[in-house]
Amino acid sequence: MEQTNQGLEATPQAETVPLRPMNMAATLAICSGGWLVPGLSHILIGRWIRGVIFAACVLAMFVLGLGMHGKLYDPSSGLQEPLHIFAFIANAGAGLPYLIAERLDMGVGVMTAPSYDYGTTYLWVCGLLNYLIVLDAFDIAQARKP
Amino acid sequence: MTLSHFQALLIFALLVSVVFALVTKNEPREQLRYGIFVFFSFLAVALAVGWIMYPLPL
Repeated sequence: MEQTNQGLEATPQAETVPLRPMNMAATLAICSGGWLVPGLSHILIGRWIRGVIFAACVLAMFVLGLGMHGKLYDPSSGLQEPLHIFAFIANAGAGLPYLIAERLDMGVGVMTAPSYDYGTTYLWVCGLLNYLIVLDAFDIAQARKP
Repeated sequence: MTLSHFQALLIFALLVSVVFALVTKNEPREQLRYGIFVFFSFLAVALAVGWIMYPLPL
C-alpha cells in the first residue's frame, strides 16, 4: 500500500491531481445507482465517456440476449433447482433492465430457438459485467485506482 | 432475431473485450491494445475449442 502511494506520488498526474477518496456513504450510493442503471456510477464520478460506453455495452448485451430468446431467472427458480440461484444472481446484475424485463414477462426463454443458449449467456454475462463495472467505480471513488 | 453462432460470438467478444479493456487499463493506448488482444483471444480460443470438439460424437 505504501509502495503504491509512493509510486503515485512519483507520477506527474498524482502531483497535479491528488487522489482523494470519497466518503463511504456517497460511494455506496453511487455504486447502487450504477447497479440499477449500468454506467451511471462512472457518469456520477465524472468519467462520463466510460460510463456511456459501459452503458451501451451492457444494455446492448441485455437487449441482444432477450432478442435471442434467452432466459431470465428469478429467485423462485432457485427453489426448484438450487443451482439456478447463481443464474439469478448473474441476471440481477443488470439492475433496472432486469427488473423491468421480469415485470413485463420478457426473458421467458424459448428452448427450441437455436440462439437460446447464446441469449441466456448474453443475459448472464451482461449482469456479471455490470457487477465488474460497479466494482471499478467503487475503486475509483475510493481512490484505489486513477 | 437470427444471428449465426459466429456472429453471436463476434458481438459477444467485442462487447466483453471493450468492457475488460476499459476496466483493467487506464491509458487509451493500453486500452486499445488490451481490447484487441482480448477480442482476438476470444475468437482464437472459441475456434480452437470448436475444432477440438469437432470429431466428438455429440
